[in-house]
Amino acid sequence: MLLPVFTLKLRHKISPRMVAIGRYDGTHPCLAAATQTGKVFIHNPHTRNQHVSASRVFQSPLESDVSLLSINQAVSCLTAGVLNPELGYDALLVGTQTNLLAYDVYNNSDLFYREVADGANAIVLGTLGDISSPLAIIGGNCALQGFNHEGSDLFWTVTGDNVNSLALCDFDGDGKKELLVGSEDFDIRVFKEDEIVAEMTETEIVTSLCPMYGSRFGYALSNGTVGVYDKTSRYWRIKSKNHAMSIHAFDLNSDGVNELITGWSNGKVDARSDRTGEVIFKDNFSSAIAGVVEGDYRMDGHIQLICCSVDGEIRGYLPGTAEMRGNLMDTSAEQDLIRELSQKKQNLLLELRNYEENAKAELASPLNEADGHRGIIPANTRLHTTLSVSLGNETQTAHTELRISTSNDTIIRAVLIFAEGIFTGESHVVHPSIHNLSSSICIPIVPPKDVPVDLHLKAFVGYRSSTQFHVFESTRQLPRFSMYALTSLDPASEPISYVNFTIAERAQRVVVWLGQNFLLPEDTHIQNAPFQVCFTSLRNGGHLHIKIKLSGEITINTDDIDLAGDIIQSMASFFAIEDLQVEADFPVYFEELRKVLVKVDEYHSVHQKLSADMADHSNLIRSLLVGAEDARLMRDMKTMKSRYMELYDLNRDLLNGYKIRCNNHTELLGNLKAVNQAIQRAGRLRVGKPKNQVITACRDAIRSNNINTLFKIMRVGTASS
Amino acid sequence: MDLILNRMDYLQVGVTSQKTMKLIPASRHRATQKVVIGDHDGVVMCFGMKKGEAAAVFKTLPGPKIARLELGGVINTPQEKIFIAAASEIRGFTKRGKQFLSFETNLTESIKAMHISGSDLFLSASYIYNHYCDCKDQHYYLSGDKINDVICLPVERLSRITPVLACQDRVLRVLQGSDVMYAVEVPGPPTVLALHNGNGGDSGEDLLFGTSDGKLALIQITTSKPVRKWEIQNEKKRGGILCIDSFDIVGDGVKDLLVGRDDGMVEVYSFDNANEPVLRFDQMLSESVTSIQGGCVGKDSYDEIVVSTYSGWVTGLTTEPIHKESGPGEELKINQEMQNKISSLRNELEHLQYKVLQERENYQQSSQSSKAKSAVPSFGINDKFTLNKDDASYSLILEVQTAIDNVLIQSDVPIDLLDVDKNSAVVSFSSCDSESNDNFLLATYRCQADTTRLELKIRSIEGQYGTLQAYVTPRIQPKTCQVRQYHIKPLSLHQRTHFIDHDRPMNTLTLTGQFSFAEVHSWVVFCLPEVPEKPPAGECVTFYFQNTFLDTQLESTYRKGEGVFKSDNISTISILKDVLSKEATKRKINLNISYEINEVSVKHTLKLIHPKLEYQLLLAKKVQLIDALKELQIHEGNTNFLIPEYHCILEEADHLQEEYKKQPAHLERLYGMITDLFIDKFKFKGTNVKTKVPLLLEILDSYDQNALISFFDAA
Repeated sequence: MLLPVFTLKLRHKISPRMVAIGRYDGTHPCLAAATQTGKVFIHNPHTRNQHVSASRVFQSPLESDVSLLSINQAVSCLTAGVLNPELGYDALLVGTQTNLLAYDVYNNSDLFYREVADGANAIVLGTLGDISSPLAIIGGNCALQGFNHEGSDLFWTVTGDNVNSLALCDFDGDGKKELLVGSEDFDIRVFKEDEIVAEMTETEIVTSLCPMYGSRFGYALSNGTVGVYDKTSRYWRIKSKNHAMSIHAFDLNSDGVNELITGWSNGKVDARSDRTGEVIFKDNFSSAIAGVVEGDYRMDGHIQLICCSVDGEIRGYLPGTAEMRGNLMDTSAEQDLIRELSQKKQNLLLELRNYEENAKAELASPLNEADGHRGIIPANTRLHTTLSVSLGNETQTAHTELRISTSNDTIIRAVLIFAEGIFTGESHVVHPSIHNLSSSICIPIVPPKDVPVDLHLKAFVGYRSSTQFHVFESTRQLPRFSMYALTSLDPASEPISYVNFTIAERAQRVVVWLGQNFLLPEDTHIQNAPFQVCFTSLRNGGHLHIKIKLSGEITINTDDIDLAGDIIQSMASFFAIEDLQVEADFPVYFEELRKVLVKVDEYHSVHQKLSADMADHSNLIRSLLVGAEDARLMRDMKTMKSRYMELYDLNRDLLNGYKIRCNNHTELLGNLKAVNQAIQRAGRLRVGKPKNQVITACRDAIRSNNINTLFKIMRVGTASS
Repeated sequence: MDLILNRMDYLQVGVTSQKTMKLIPASRHRATQKVVIGDHDGVVMCFGMKKGEAAAVFKTLPGPKIARLELGGVINTPQEKIFIAAASEIRGFTKRGKQFLSFETNLTESIKAMHISGSDLFLSASYIYNHYCDCKDQHYYLSGDKINDVICLPVERLSRITPVLACQDRVLRVLQGSDVMYAVEVPGPPTVLALHNGNGGDSGEDLLFGTSDGKLALIQITTSKPVRKWEIQNEKKRGGILCIDSFDIVGDGVKDLLVGRDDGMVEVYSFDNANEPVLRFDQMLSESVTSIQGGCVGKDSYDEIVVSTYSGWVTGLTTEPIHKESGPGEELKINQEMQNKISSLRNELEHLQYKVLQERENYQQSSQSSKAKSAVPSFGINDKFTLNKDDASYSLILEVQTAIDNVLIQSDVPIDLLDVDKNSAVVSFSSCDSESNDNFLLATYRCQADTTRLELKIRSIEGQYGTLQAYVTPRIQPKTCQVRQYHIKPLSLHQRTHFIDHDRPMNTLTLTGQFSFAEVHSWVVFCLPEVPEKPPAGECVTFYFQNTFLDTQLESTYRKGEGVFKSDNISTISILKDVLSKEATKRKINLNISYEINEVSVKHTLKLIHPKLEYQLLLAKKVQLIDALKELQIHEGNTNFLIPEYHCILEEADHLQEEYKKQPAHLERLYGMITDLFIDKFKFKGTNVKTKVPLLLEILDSYDQNALISFFDAA
């Protein structure tokens, strides 16, 4: 069994996820972590601190080997590593909602201090793609930015939603690192520099990512799921009722392959095999884990796994030796194997006995009341499931309807649907009251997003008086665009916004695509090209028209730019289209965007004005304070009093000003997010190279503040001509 | 010395009941013993361990479920005859497996507990106790509540026959012949009895008992009165006690106490100089420990604790070290044994799998025909639904012999489902449309791969009653689920007690009308927990109850045509009145309900609530301050400038936070009860004060006892 090689108890709290180890002087590894109220502490057990009293750093009054760094703002991300290879030691990077600080701990000086309007929710340090110098990449409000050691941004791109986690990983095996981005819209995106090469949709907010080795990486979601991906395919995942606070890759059993180490909110740390997810080691802390890092903290040449809890407890583990043969747990593997086999045997015996009983039951009389009670049902009972679109009525809004029925007089006692992302929890239960039991149940389903979902159904089938039920399990897929009902053609309802593109596919294949991605009534017959189909959204009643000409030209009319993007992405993956150029026009949306852009300018100018005001005020404060102190020394109490009164008023003004600035800032953030999302949406209308061109061109247009070009790019896909 | 015990799994049989495994005495000290165990399939199996593998001595054919297994024999000779109780029959086997006795007791209920002493046989079914001598009926007793266990003080040492019954109503009944000599009230429902040191201790009268809420105590049963020796509270909130044995596992010459609990905990207590028990060892097994005994099974001259669990595992916790220091050769041998075991298991599995596949095919074929029927595998669920006194919440424990896949919890009353730290299952709450389908709670627990036991915590509200249903789906093929129902009673937070304070101001509710004794009893059963289903003997009966949350009390006395309920809490009376009149109307019985309200009782109840409320408010306030104070501490380094009160908070911070976490929503519940009290007080006066409730909440927010009392008086 593996035991910690050292245990420390610091008297500082540690904020979750904000832990990093760095050699800030080039030799001694120190632990840096964010603590309460905008401070970062650096634990340096190796060198007795020469007492420094500079502006930022001061010695912790609680412990001699801990120094504190005041940030004066809530720290939102923290990392350490080599930013400037020439320096030969690590820099500490601290991100807040408005700034990024690169700090040289050894010299106690700032490397750079940059304002970042989109905030920094996540940070990763390393080399990306072909960019030669190491970058500190921060992810914020729909945006990604990478800074080199001078603080100039060499990398900028946008993504679909707020970024929550970042990691660098050689995703495609070309020896260069790609950027993995996990965001609030449940997506993991892979950026090869600023080109998106892959997108995986998960079921919750992606909170952590970590590279394992090669193209393999681990991830954690906010609902307690952790797992491992290899490229775009998921290897395994497990879900716990606790939340994964921090994940890290470390080879704990010395078999040459990294395990996924997870620190949980209930204080548990476990190491799981990257292939199977099997737990090979676990330990418990008394409070939630704040971070899991690695480093040679004892300076003896061996790398330890270091786990920190939010209460400041730190434990270091050395990897198991070869003699332990990966046997890190205290119970022997053989015992467990025997248990498992024996359990299997019991299950098989139970099943066997059941068949025997069934055989006996067959000889007995036909079905009677007592049989129903014991849960005996006709053996030919089948369960039918159908999915359809319901337009709703006065009492119920429009929804997708799942109908489950049995093939005879048996009743359905309850239905459990396990599906991810479409219910508030992971499951939905329908349990009719005893008076409303029948052999069929209709379940309304309203998926909030247009994603294909697997519905895992468990139906409890029996009789009214049964205490034991048969569980019928089946899986149905809810198509991606299940919330759109086929309606009759009505040229008047055609939305003015459209996207237009040409594909080299037969119309018949498009019909197949329609059948797979929409819930079409069974008797639908679509004639050959050219044809036009019309759908109504069940969410907001918006219309969607899809027209196909003989030439393969497809026009999609919808006012919903996201929907257009989803349809194009879905078609592209179905027809395996690599590059697709699209012509698009969304007049209403573009008009809104124009307004947003105007607002952004306004907020920017307000921001500048407020900052100037603040500077004025602070000058005034200085003079008032000096005046007041002078008066005090002169024993002119009256003047002093009046000065302090003025100071008080000024202070109040400043506070008010601060509130205004705060509001202004949140508004600005909201609008900037809208702009970033617009670029992302314009990108999603295209596939492959044209997609990246649009994003880059849009970005340039925004930089040069050329709004008209921006709209042109969004329409036709390029800035030129 | 630290006690280090290593776990060895020996064998798995079918599901077992409490006290169904014994070790047969060996011919010499520390020689390996044989294990005999009876399971729910009715199979008695006797086996010994040979080279790490279980070798069966004998195995009987399946039959009715075995409820108990005891060893017996002529007094003062080795007790090596095996007796089992299955349904209403007692069977006896020699240690070679030859049946020498089959005794049909003709009891109408199946036997629940058994004790054997020489030729005396003590049996109890749910409510009936019977004493036989040489299979001839001697004595008989009908208990007022369920009998959980029966034992007789050692006849050979006392030369008198003193049977003791452990009854569900928190009483040990000491019998003499067919009569109760005296009854001993104990702190919880006793579930198991055992003789101290296996022989009744120094006096021969010392009796150990364990309760379903996890308490353990020693009591001396003298001829005139009980003498309480010691009692161990259940501070760590462990499970109920299922089995006790005395065995010197520590090796200090004094017999230690071995205890098995229903949450899988195995504990060893040894005795200090003052003969007080001290916990020496504990280990968690994943399922209920049904039997425990000390002895020697795996290897001779190594003592061990042998336990059997609910799903039929026989496991040893042995003093034999796993890692031998004798050399590499030895270790290899141990591994070899393991490997043999595994490969033989694998062979067996393969064989079974083949058979199952065949059967599955047959089944599939038969399911094509329209006449065929399909049954589901029946599986046992070991469940327990009990009220915890400490935090006035219910805990529901579900245990299945195989791994649980998922559990659906449905309730038609508003209840809160609380998180239990021990659980690893992922819980998900589903939205419910309460109007049409009577659902107030729908939640699914998806269990992790090897979960066989699930514990839930439920908070109910008095006055709201209905049914809680649990649909348990285990991981067996074909997939099946079983539903279990639990009643949430109108006065769900009340608990039976045997003494109440008669000096309190009481409100009285009197029922008169044309109803039978059985009818009024069924109403009481409907309203209150822990009342036996069966109407007690006699014409008139009195039960006392205590509200576990507020410590108010209730006295109910009823007979044919009349029922009197007295409580110092108006809300209790109000709930009873509502429920009883509703029940009577449902059955079309004409009831005269009259009540007598004592104004002083309201003030009295408020005074009872006061210390609890004050404590909670103070706690909340302190916890709020902790973070700020800690921040100050970090910033300033020392805390000398703080006033002593704050110093105190900082020092006790962890403890305070823990306390606060333990009682979620405690304050809200107290507020709710005060509001109910307020509304009920005026309901009896015929005024509706619902409009004044916001005002009351305002007063509660800035709580002051006198202000509250005067508000109650003034309104």
